[in-house]
Amino acid sequence: MPNLQLSSVDKFYGDVHAVKGVSLEVPEGEFIVLVGPSGCGKSTLLRSIAGLEEISGGDISLGGRSIVGLAPRDRNIAMVFQSYALYPYLSVYENIAFGLRARKFSESEIERQVGWASELLAIGDFLQRFPRELSGGQRQRVAIGRAIVREADLFLLDEPLSNLDAKLRDGMREEIKRLHRQLGKTFIYVTHDQIEAMTLAERIVLLRDGVVEQEGAPLELFERPRNRFVAGFLGSPSMNFIEVEQDGDGPGIRLPDGQIIDKFEFAPEFPDGGKLVWGVRPEHFSVASGSSADMEALIEVVQPTGSRTFGSFTLSGTHVVAELDARAQIAADQKASLSIDVERTTFFSAETGEAC
Amino acid sequence: MSQSSSIGRALDEQRAFKYLLVAPAVFVILLIGLYPFVKLILTSFQNITMFEDDHSFNGFVHYARLFGDERLWESLLHTVAFTAVALPIEILLGYLLALLFLDPMPLKRLFVAVILLPTVISPIVAGSTWRLMFDHRFGPVNQIIAFLAGGEVKLLWTVDPFLVWPAILVAEVWQWTPFMFLILLAALSNVDREQLEAAQIDGASWLMTFRKIVLPAIAPVLFVAVLIRALDLFRLFDVIWTMTGGGPGTRTETISVYAYQMAFREFDISYSSAIAFLVIFALTALVIFALRRVEIAR
Repeated sequence: MPNLQLSSVDKFYGDVHAVKGVSLEVPEGEFIVLVGPSGCGKSTLLRSIAGLEEISGGDISLGGRSIVGLAPRDRNIAMVFQSYALYPYLSVYENIAFGLRARKFSESEIERQVGWASELLAIGDFLQRFPRELSGGQRQRVAIGRAIVREADLFLLDEPLSNLDAKLRDGMREEIKRLHRQLGKTFIYVTHDQIEAMTLAERIVLLRDGVVEQEGAPLELFERPRNRFVAGFLGSPSMNFIEVEQDGDGPGIRLPDGQIIDKFEFAPEFPDGGKLVWGVRPEHFSVASGSSADMEALIEVVQPTGSRTFGSFTLSGTHVVAELDARAQIAADQKASLSIDVERTTFFSAETGEAC
Repeated sequence: MSQSSSIGRALDEQRAFKYLLVAPAVFVILLIGLYPFVKLILTSFQNITMFEDDHSFNGFVHYARLFGDERLWESLLHTVAFTAVALPIEILLGYLLALLFLDPMPLKRLFVAVILLPTVISPIVAGSTWRLMFDHRFGPVNQIIAFLAGGEVKLLWTVDPFLVWPAILVAEVWQWTPFMFLILLAALSNVDREQLEAAQIDGASWLMTFRKIVLPAIAPVLFVAVLIRALDLFRLFDVIWTMTGGGPGTRTETISVYAYQMAFREFDISYSSAIAFLVIFALTALVIFALRRVEIAR
């Protein structure tokens, strides 16, 4: 059973500590997404698994066998690159067949495998063309085709969709997920895009500065972020962070502009006389009618997207975005009554940023 | 309609003005390129020597003489053979050097600059220097060999019929390998790194990676470099002239050395012109053939 195991992997570039003791276990067949802002070490980690980078410490094993020190070709992995890295002087057919030829497959075997992959990816019509004659989406498919023909144990994908336009990206996302189900192989996918991470992953590993901030199922990270960084990274528009105080001795909280919200079943515990940061996702707001309103806001900008409408306002210097029903009657420079789904909101320590 | 014709006239005027602007450059090119060429052809059909100024038409006498001139064909053979040996060595050494310099290393720029120095030196100076280096009594080459061999050696590098060509080869390769190195370094640094990594993961051998990815990527640049160097080698003169003067006897005479000998030692200007025309004809044919091949490849 070729499951992948990283144990306290370290990577230095000179003095830069790019990956700091990352441990991770990936069971066979899982779709795992490494996500984080640029420079968080996610690509380095992927390239270390591929054998394109040598790790400075720790161990990487595949199926119980350490692969540290093995050449990339001996690890039986496949990789899709951000730039696709198609071989420009070979036809699509030869591109896909390249790895098979390198491994001395017979001509009939190659033909069978390339045929299978091109059918799966619907690229059979341009097998004789060259990469430069293909569109971005087609190149992407060829790059994936090249990876899947070899029947590798592990598929590594390094930001494979970031060079595609938004519409194509949506389509390819679905296809990659379907492909994963069909192949049943382990996928490790690197992206900086939180939507790709949320939609594709069975498990997200969120990295920052070479350290795993949190890992778990997408909705788990989304609903129960361990700290402010995780909460702010996932979700678009981002979570709003509002500094709040305790309302006297009561169970409610006081917003920066003085409004009081006191419908908590479990009131947050404030440090002595201190403040907390209240994390409210845009979709936790809704337009309220009459007495169900929790707060009043002077809407500054309205952005309708068709399906939803974003309204932004300021709470004593804190910028807040609310995602509201598309038919909500809100307009710029007018007051709106909003209610908040407080049970889904999160509180963070103002000092450490940890969730509480 | 009158409007469109006036626009047409304005365009014509603009076009005429363009030609006016490039006219001086064209004139200079014709003066230094075309005129000598025409003069060369004319001279080859006359019978001009340093002593006689006979401008009468002499027919194909000199061209007929070319075919029977054994010394000419021998010098042509020297030229072709030397090109065939020196060029691959320069490419190979240049390629290996370029590979060495692909990865980042401290003081890389300094090393590249030092390696390039020989190419910057005038070939005459390089030839004269190598002439001294290979001097059988005072030259460092023999002294180093003597030191390594632990005894006295007297290798006559610029005289011994079996040693002159190797000596010239060393000088020529020393001077022009850096040129290949620089061009190949530039070409190789443009080979996409991710493609090479993809090939690594695909499990391609060194040879397969080179043939399918690296070579096609550097081929256009390599082709131009080879063409330039082939033409240079075909016209090889300076190094040989300073090192051996074409000797011993006619042992190291190349076609350029021979043409020079004919013109300025034998003073047979018209015959020398015929030889020069032969060289021009051969090289032009080679270049046209080579360029055609590349176009087919594209």
